[in-house]
Amino acid sequence: MNRIEEKMAALKGKNEKAFITYMTAGLPDMEGTKALIKAQEEAGTDVLELGIPFSDPVADGPVIQQASYKAICQGVTLKKIFSMMEQIRLEGVKIPIIFMMYSNTIFHYGVKAFVKKCKEAGVDGLIVPDLPFEEQKELQDAIDKEEGAILIQLVSPVSGKRIPMILEKAKGFVYCVSSMGVTGQEAGFHREIVKYLESVKALSPIPVMMGFGIRTPKDIVPMKHIIDGAIVGSHFIRLLEQNHYNTKAAADYCKSFKKGMQNL
Amino acid sequence: MDRKTYYGKFGGQFVSESLMNTLEELDKAFEEAIKDEKFLEEYHYYLKQYVGRETPLTFAERLSEKYGTRIYLKREDLNHTGAHKINNVMGQILLAKRMGKTKVIAETGAGQHGVATATGAALFNMECTVYMGEEDMKRQALNVMRMEMLGAKVECVRFGSNTLKDATNEAIRVWAKTAEDTFYIIGSAVGPYPYPKMVKEFQSVISREAKRQFYEAEHRLPDVVMACVGGGSNSIGMFADFIEEKGVELIGVEAGGKGVKTGEHAAAMALGSPGTLHGMRSYLLQDEDGNIKLAHSISAGLDYPGVGPEHAYLKDTGRVEYVSITDTEAMDALLELCKLEGIIPAVESAHALAYAIKKAKMMEKEEAMIVCLSGRGDKDVNTIADYLAGKGYMN
Repeated sequence: MNRIEEKMAALKGKNEKAFITYMTAGLPDMEGTKALIKAQEEAGTDVLELGIPFSDPVADGPVIQQASYKAICQGVTLKKIFSMMEQIRLEGVKIPIIFMMYSNTIFHYGVKAFVKKCKEAGVDGLIVPDLPFEEQKELQDAIDKEEGAILIQLVSPVSGKRIPMILEKAKGFVYCVSSMGVTGQEAGFHREIVKYLESVKALSPIPVMMGFGIRTPKDIVPMKHIIDGAIVGSHFIRLLEQNHYNTKAAADYCKSFKKGMQNL
Repeated sequence: MDRKTYYGKFGGQFVSESLMNTLEELDKAFEEAIKDEKFLEEYHYYLKQYVGRETPLTFAERLSEKYGTRIYLKREDLNHTGAHKINNVMGQILLAKRMGKTKVIAETGAGQHGVATATGAALFNMECTVYMGEEDMKRQALNVMRMEMLGAKVECVRFGSNTLKDATNEAIRVWAKTAEDTFYIIGSAVGPYPYPKMVKEFQSVISREAKRQFYEAEHRLPDVVMACVGGGSNSIGMFADFIEEKGVELIGVEAGGKGVKTGEHAAAMALGSPGTLHGMRSYLLQDEDGNIKLAHSISAGLDYPGVGPEHAYLKDTGRVEYVSITDTEAMDALLELCKLEGIIPAVESAHALAYAIKKAKMMEKEEAMIVCLSGRGDKDVNTIADYLAGKGYMN
């Protein structure tokens, strides 16, 4: 069983909500990323998303854009991230790790080679925000053959009648985007957020996570009865930057978020 | 998979999930509109009475005489706002109105598409925001002013290279947030389906007119049809009606910058590889890690690291030949056209002219070609002056 699916099953058994973070790979540097992953695993973060830097991050807001750009300027590449992954798995890191990346990075690497490499390097899932359902066939076929990382499906507040199609073969969890547009929205969630999440939850055989614009456990109070977990991205990156990527600050935030979520 | 969104293996819809319904709605509205007599009547009314179409097909007498073949120029430079860009803006903005949108956004590099969009928005009383890279705003300050005079808001984009590529990313982001009341007017034959199809439809007026005008002058089809290619809007419009005419040789001219071997160029077809950017799969300039590289050209309008997906397909099928012209060759051709024909062409169009001159030398005296003169060079006077002063250029 895939590590993400195992984790989801374990959380369900404990009746716990999942806490998922996003950070850009290679910041402050590759060793720093490794330390942050380990600190978070220890602090109780359930799943980690690693952002693979891309020159044209069209689904990201300013915080992740800048982080991505900084990483590229520092020479962070997919190949280096793969070796970092291989190292941490050898070092015993077991937390499920998802690559969040843009389709061009995958196409450029070669779809089949990429999927194979993900399996070897211990990557458990993929989120590709510019690869909507209709464009997933090539990647999904490769994934089905390799039985390695799973492709996480994204759903948006305006997905409407597309939801059943997207959910049909979805694995791991469904990523519900809380607002239209890009990551890290300050403006808040979509006006129909609760209704929308309910409609996804009603149709989904797998856990439903919400992401985009979440900062504290309080933010998810209105939908605590619906969702199975929360994803924190832009806010987490900002917090890392403000604390100079200090592992303790990251771990403290994760611990308190995870704890806060169980007491909503 | 929905193959209608593809041109061979190029095209598609590489956008976030939240835009997928928007694209479907747009495609449906577009298909209905172009079958609606009233819509077409309105579109052609504005092309005639506002844009100033049809544009002439000028026989370039002295140029033809010098290079020994018959050279015709399709005069898109004579359109209102100075280039072919307005053809597409009129179509898309009428579609926006029809769909009940009240706001339009656009990306712009050199500012020509931004000016055309601001113009259309003023005409139809729509709120207009144009996204433009910080670098481009500096080097095209006059166009920024023109857009503002026309009532548009110009948003400065500061990310990455601070140019067209980044401005397009930002426009896509804003659109994803605001699609309910906002229409994104893409200026080139790029972007997710149905944009490449829409831009082709609204630019195909160029080849429909040119074909008829050429027939009136020569009572036959041209031997060669040529246009410059950045994203590929004037060229797809210039080729559209000739693609099925197998006897007509079609040539697209990319910007070779300082030379394709120098690495400083915009020749996505010559040296790019397939990838995804701005919602489409096409030939792109990329580095070894799959990041998009910066394009380089003296012409801001050709300074784009990709190309429209139908062009990528036309290259692969061999229907169109794509070549490149360097900055220097383009500037020489620009100055020659000024002196020989009394026409100051845009630096973009000068790329097509430069290759036309090369091609003419291989053609017979009685053969004939049409070159798309996509825009006028008034906007380029500073670039030309800097070039002549030997200062290099700002780009």
